[in-house]
Amino acid sequence: MTESVLRPSAEQQYAAELEALAAVDDRPKPPMWRLSPQAVVRYVLGGELSDGTKITPKYVGDRRIVEVAVATLATDRALLLVGVPGTAKSWLSEHLAAAVSGDSTLVVQGTAGTSEESVRYGWNYARLIAEGPSEAALVPSPVLRAMRTGAIARVEELTRMPSEVQDSLITVLSEKALPVPELNFQVQAVPGFSIIATANDRDRGVNQMSSALARRFNTVVLPPPASEDAEVEIVSSRAAQLGRALQLPAEPPALEEVRRVVRVFRELRGGSTVDGRTQLKKPSGSLSTAEAISVITSGMALAAHFGDGKLGADELASGLLGAVVKDRVSDTAAWQEYLEAVVKERPEWRDLYRACQDHDLAGYA
Amino acid sequence: MPKLPERVTLLGIRHHGPGSARMVAAALAAIEPALVLVEGPPEADGLVAHVGGLTPPVALLLHDETDPATAAFWPFAGFSPEWQALRWADEHQVPLRFFDLAAAATLGEEDEPDRVAIDPLGLLAEAAGFDDPERWWEDVVEQHAAADPIGLAQAVAEAMTALREEFADHVGQRTLRREAAMRQALRKGLKEVEGPIMVVCGAWHVPALLELPSATADSALLKGLPKKKISGTWVPWSHGRLANASGYGAGIASPGWYAHLWETADAGDAVPRWFARACAVLREEDLPASTASAVEAVRLADALAAMRGRPSPGLAEVSEATLAVLCGGDDTPLRLVHDKLVVGEELGMVGAGVPRSPLAADLERLQRRLRLPASAIEKQMRLDLRKDMDRQRSKLLRRLRVLDVPWGETDHTNSTGTFAEAWRVRWDPSMAVAVAAAARHGTTVEAAAEQVLRQRAEDADRVAKAGEVLEQSVFCESPTAVAAARRALDRCAAAATDAAELLQALPSLASTVRYGSVRGTDPELLRSALHGLLARGAVGLPLACRNVDDDTADQLVAALDAAQDAAGLAADDDHRAVWRDALLRLVALTDAHGLPAGRATRLLWESGDLDTDSVAARLHRAVSATAGATAFVAGFLRGSAALLAADDRLFALIDNWLTGLSPEAFADALPLLRRAVGEFSSAERRTLGDRVMAGDSRAVAAPTGDWDEDRAERLAAHVRELIGATS
Repeated sequence: MTESVLRPSAEQQYAAELEALAAVDDRPKPPMWRLSPQAVVRYVLGGELSDGTKITPKYVGDRRIVEVAVATLATDRALLLVGVPGTAKSWLSEHLAAAVSGDSTLVVQGTAGTSEESVRYGWNYARLIAEGPSEAALVPSPVLRAMRTGAIARVEELTRMPSEVQDSLITVLSEKALPVPELNFQVQAVPGFSIIATANDRDRGVNQMSSALARRFNTVVLPPPASEDAEVEIVSSRAAQLGRALQLPAEPPALEEVRRVVRVFRELRGGSTVDGRTQLKKPSGSLSTAEAISVITSGMALAAHFGDGKLGADELASGLLGAVVKDRVSDTAAWQEYLEAVVKERPEWRDLYRACQDHDLAGYA
Repeated sequence: MPKLPERVTLLGIRHHGPGSARMVAAALAAIEPALVLVEGPPEADGLVAHVGGLTPPVALLLHDETDPATAAFWPFAGFSPEWQALRWADEHQVPLRFFDLAAAATLGEEDEPDRVAIDPLGLLAEAAGFDDPERWWEDVVEQHAAADPIGLAQAVAEAMTALREEFADHVGQRTLRREAAMRQALRKGLKEVEGPIMVVCGAWHVPALLELPSATADSALLKGLPKKKISGTWVPWSHGRLANASGYGAGIASPGWYAHLWETADAGDAVPRWFARACAVLREEDLPASTASAVEAVRLADALAAMRGRPSPGLAEVSEATLAVLCGGDDTPLRLVHDKLVVGEELGMVGAGVPRSPLAADLERLQRRLRLPASAIEKQMRLDLRKDMDRQRSKLLRRLRVLDVPWGETDHTNSTGTFAEAWRVRWDPSMAVAVAAAARHGTTVEAAAEQVLRQRAEDADRVAKAGEVLEQSVFCESPTAVAAARRALDRCAAAATDAAELLQALPSLASTVRYGSVRGTDPELLRSALHGLLARGAVGLPLACRNVDDDTADQLVAALDAAQDAAGLAADDDHRAVWRDALLRLVALTDAHGLPAGRATRLLWESGDLDTDSVAARLHRAVSATAGATAFVAGFLRGSAALLAADDRLFALIDNWLTGLSPEAFADALPLLRRAVGEFSSAERRTLGDRVMAGDSRAVAAPTGDWDEDRAERLAAHVRELIGATS
């Protein structure tokens, strides 16, 4: 299965782990759950099972956050994951859905153009016209399907939807039912149904949630990685996994390359060097952990196809430039300043400095 | 080694642990001992009789009689196991003794560092696979406390014995001594009392009490300890203070949570009631917190506890549920809940019969009379000194400040300086130490403050210090102290050789003179002090301005300004004349430092004692002189950039002087001016430049006396409203 698709879903990629967890799971399970809450936490945080199966950590961070998230779902409350971009909100939501209901594909993607039909239900118009309103003509949304099967529905980027579309979730969350007035009945949710929504509190162009809706969620804030070491761990393990999935022939990235990228990101994000001695301009982009991961994977791809298969400064330079410089004028200045004031001053980073300068000369500066 | 007799029950507790308190309460009810021994200083035995009149949290305050500032607290909350023992003994009229090492031996002594090197609970918790020792204790011990108290106590004793064996070499000398003292007290108790004996002490000490070796070794260990005369009392304590590590036992992070657990233990509704209270706290701040949310929070906390395999939600679970459900993931409201509920602001009370120093009793009497209760919550107050009650309050707060009891803090940012005072008042229970320490100065607040002020007046060796004491004495309305400070001021002024020092003491004195009448001090008395200082300073001034370096000259300029203001504010005509003469003499001196000379010229010009022509002449002379010229111009203009731009007379004076200079003289003056103006900020220089560019066109016409009565009256009415004037 994993051979044929670009990005297998969580329950496909980690099917073996989920199976192993289910085999040894002897704790009580809430109705319709595939695993007990404890096993879900273990699936997300990783560990070793009694039968020797290794569970890879999916989320690196505070255990309490994951526990609160899982306990929320166990009390059939809706869960809202909030955080700045790239703090693994969608990632965590996907894995929670995969572990709890074995299906992480019931997704509504929130955009400015998301309509009420994608949250509630739509119609098959050919059928509607031919046969009149009937259940067969109803096109259920992922939320509706989750309600019927007792699964977890995911709503990505909830605050990007228009407010009135967001509010159509209120009935679903408070009544656990979705009325279909055209057919004069309502769909009642089966036990096990819940919603995981993600929202980001930093982006421009978000629609604030109404307090009526916010009240129906338990909110969990996902913080950016607390330390450089934690972030390095996230980036290197994710990049290695992605490399596998993308069938990159390159060697897994050397830890010090990952550490360099993470340090560049953390320093620019925080506006000062790690030793706190140099003040830096902050670029306009969010410089999330997710972007650091993509810099590493694209570097690995470059190394595999055009280089010697080893990830080095040359491969990182282009990715770094692309990640940092989102606004040509102001970000280029910030990046150049960083190169001159910080990168150039670190003797062991000379190769990176030279590589970045070459790239600048080639295109941007 | 002789085993402990069966009739002794050892209860190893965690200080301030509600579960341990339940264990102690249940064990007391089951055994009904004839004597209770509690970990604590034996000097406090006499205070046990007053337990009935106390409302916790309270603390034992013991201090060295010869040096009351050397003091320590032993706080007890309602949920402290020791408090349960105290309460039970009081209700059942059973003798209770404190049986720790005497406070005389511990007060003022440094703790040995090795005593805290190991954390007994931490080690046990680690062995049980818990990351947080508090939580482990809570789960394993406190949750099952009431069911089988004796069995639990035995289990604790066994665990601690194993630990003590393993870490025997970590036990410090201090701990060994304390335990020797405990054993001695236990032997004495066994000898004197026939019935069952109950011992309540920290779990760590239990193994040391399980066996009673010969008394000789213990008395040898206790030999040669310092002896002091100790006295003490009960003082109100607060949950906030309990949260800080202080005095006895470790500080606890969440006294409010523990108190809540203790209070709701019987009803069994700890978690729902907690969230109901959290909602109330949030609603008080106008934050949304519905009952429906509280229901969801209870469910989440229960689910979390179940997932973590805990018997019931603990503080971690309820806090996480509060954050996720009630606070929408936002830390700020959570912090509010933390401050108000988890820590709490409860303040204890000490009944009337409890012995206390006469000073403390006087303070309480005053607090009642002035309706100024000691509260742990900060409060803002505005006192109108024309009202008798407010004046008394101000007097009390000021006197306490003199006694180093900083109950009230004057709020200068908010003060109008006349007959109204702004105060921030907050009682910190540890101020009881300062009150105890101040008791040696007198039996009432008034007498003690007076004594301290008189002492300070006697010790004063500089004019500024004496002036400060005088000001405080006036504020405290203490006539004897005022007289003493007055004498001290005269003494210091006579000895002072530095005119600047004399003059700088003037401003505070001047404002004291002005508002002293509100405080019931005869203004004439103060005015004569001011006159004395002014006269002495005036005499010394010209001399003081010769042969000085630039730093001293700077101080002289400040002193000149201060004295000028003070003379204008509070001196009579004769002394103003004396001051003016001194300035004139200074200006006439040819070898005075430029800064004060320039300043004096300016002051005299402003008061009209020097006319414009002679000022211009002086400026000319300054430029032609070589040394000190810059200083003269700088002193003349210092701090008056805005004035120069706005005051046409001053501007015209400088303008005429500059334009009247010959080209050569102007070139000479340029560097001086540059440096003098260089002291202004760049914004001020810009304003000044704009003014010069505008030339005469911006010259403001003198007011003509021709205005619109109606509009003026409307404006005046508004201003009156702003300043609160009545008519």
